[in-house]
Amino acid sequence: MLHFHARPFRWPAVVVLAWLGAGGAQQAQLLPSRPQLLSESAPPAIDRGLRDLDPPRDPRTDDVEPVVDGEPFLRGSLIVKFRPGTSADAQRALLAQVDGAAARPLSYADFDIVSIDADADPESVARRLDAEPDVAYAQARYRVHPRFVPNDPLYARQWNYPAIDMERAWDINPGATPAVTVAVLDSGVAFRPGIVRYTARAVALARNRPVLPPLGSVEVPFAAAPDLGGADRFVSPRDFILDTTIPFDLDGHGTHVAGTLGQLTNNGVGAAGMAFNVRIMPVKVIASTWDLIFGSPQMGTDDIVARGIRYAADNGAQVLNLSIGRTGPPAPVIREAIAYAVSRGAFVAVAAGNGFENGNRVERLAEFAPQIEGMVGVGGIGRDRRRAFYSNTGPQVEIVAPGGNARVGGTEGAILQQTFDFDLVETYLRGPAQYRAPRFDSFAYQFLQGTSMATPHVAGFAALLMQQGITSPAAIEAVMKRYATDLGASGRDDEYGHGLINPRASLRGLGLAK
Amino acid sequence: MSTIPTAFTDHGPQRHRDTEFPGFRLCGSVSLWPVAVAVVAVLLASSADAQTEFMLRGFADVGSTTFAADDSFTAVLGRARGAVFGGGVEAVFPQRLFVNLRASRFRDTGQRVFLFGGERFGLGIPTTITITPLELLGGYRFDYGWRVVPYGGAGIGWHLYEETSQFAQGSENVRERLQGYQILGGAEIRIARWLGAAVEGQWATVPDALGDDANGVSKELQESNLGGATFRVKVVVGR
Repeated sequence: MLHFHARPFRWPAVVVLAWLGAGGAQQAQLLPSRPQLLSESAPPAIDRGLRDLDPPRDPRTDDVEPVVDGEPFLRGSLIVKFRPGTSADAQRALLAQVDGAAARPLSYADFDIVSIDADADPESVARRLDAEPDVAYAQARYRVHPRFVPNDPLYARQWNYPAIDMERAWDINPGATPAVTVAVLDSGVAFRPGIVRYTARAVALARNRPVLPPLGSVEVPFAAAPDLGGADRFVSPRDFILDTTIPFDLDGHGTHVAGTLGQLTNNGVGAAGMAFNVRIMPVKVIASTWDLIFGSPQMGTDDIVARGIRYAADNGAQVLNLSIGRTGPPAPVIREAIAYAVSRGAFVAVAAGNGFENGNRVERLAEFAPQIEGMVGVGGIGRDRRRAFYSNTGPQVEIVAPGGNARVGGTEGAILQQTFDFDLVETYLRGPAQYRAPRFDSFAYQFLQGTSMATPHVAGFAALLMQQGITSPAAIEAVMKRYATDLGASGRDDEYGHGLINPRASLRGLGLAK
Repeated sequence: MSTIPTAFTDHGPQRHRDTEFPGFRLCGSVSLWPVAVAVVAVLLASSADAQTEFMLRGFADVGSTTFAADDSFTAVLGRARGAVFGGGVEAVFPQRLFVNLRASRFRDTGQRVFLFGGERFGLGIPTTITITPLELLGGYRFDYGWRVVPYGGAGIGWHLYEETSQFAQGSENVRERLQGYQILGGAEIRIARWLGAAVEGQWATVPDALGDDANGVSKELQESNLGGATFRVKVVVGR
């Protein structure tokens, strides 16, 4: 039950994938299918301009995310980490107690994925294993989701940058440099062209909704987002959903997040981004609706996210943006991965969650933030500098940034950035008659809202600080908190944390007397 | 060692230079006390008339100041000491009293920083610290006709503290006048009729000058005194 935090999508509460071959009635586990890259080039990207007349999109939460079979975790397997020194025989014996078996070793993981009976409850099996002294932790494979709101002609509509005094901050540090790499762990990024052949299966987006017909083999065009830059902008791309090095974005969330982080700025085109000179490492750890329709072998579970985090840290990312999250039980596998990334010198920004009006449940990725120096949980504010309606509250909120709030100022109260033209992506929302293969080569400037949108402000800010000379993740967190503009109750509070980020003051740092 | 008795017995300028050199050469193997005593004896030897009339003189000096707020200066400038250039006028009265008015200047450029967990992170934003003290000082010259005239005094100072940094706007730069106090001691030697030289040490305190702004390392490091210790050499022009 990983939820996308940021982009206000009109997704139904539950997406159920069903095989037509099973009469459309059986809700079966996904069987993976492999896409085929037909061409590494594609026609030029289409820029469909500003979409400011669209109605505001709701921020994503667990309750409006695609959830296969209505369950927030995968069945048939678990994440298990044995304590160091536990022999292979002892591991086998422990797993035998739960009818489990170890799978092959994983890259970028210090844990195992253990297969268990598909009918077994992963939660209860994990609890049994977790109680064993030789087990550091065991948990179900919960899904994680995204969170959402110069002379660039659309800059005037980006209220979010003046709100945090970015113009004066850019005077000090104009967008960092390519020496800083920021990993965007998300639904992928529109970072290169290509034509890919997928097999689209029959799908029902929600219970009690019509089954969308199988599209069969479809050729899907991709293009790089024009305002994100050329191929040299991106480093070490990785797709942990398909286990490839081409993390195409089949959603738009990751591309929007990457835009706020590092959209080309002062180039006379489109909109601006926080750290517009950094290199971007697209790491796909989230499966979108189209990934599911296309039968992706992975779904963006805790273990996938954890591996993505370790991959990013091991491949030189100095800042990690996680505009993703989930509720449910704790995720120790992700906590350890984040701690590992911080120990490798990477700063981690995590969305604090969009579920305030849905029970304000604990966000299991952001909840580690108060315990890890070098990781911050990010809440969202609107252009009125007040907590956005969706933004979770709690100890995980350490800092806030503009996430947008369409209830204050309508659509333009959200965060503008370039991403896909959703009319050509979300065809599954239009019913079977208009349902067709998506295009990921057509772009528009869209207003989205959510803590997913707030988080890349903080990640970009961290990149500027890194470039400026503050290289320790813990010090970056400290400087962000120290200079934050206090909002709400005096001092740190659960709504705004330490306050609104203040990049300019942070970049200036301390003089001798003043 | 054989040169040391010579130093005791010879006061001539040429011999004086000779005794200095062996003294340095003996460093590390022989005590310097005999050399120092010899030098003092030479310098105190009477070779000039004691001051008996009013004199107005000018002077220029160069020295090195070590700031009391050493951690703060080290954080921003990379060191706690720096060169100071100054000059002024001095009135010497027949009663061996003197009053001088001296202006000096310290100026150095470092960078703005962030401190965390005992680490200093330089931010690469040039910051220039300029301190311009104007000091009024009075004292007594132990002028008993010795070749070298020791002196000591105390006074009040007005310190113009300026801190400017790149990208600063409006009130973010600092320009403040601060008041302090100082004591000093030194010794002057007459080189020629109108020319003298002196070495002197000064300790100054400028309380509550730093440490009251959250954007200053001095507050973080709880240092508030802009004073420090200065050692300088001075050229005096005038009788």
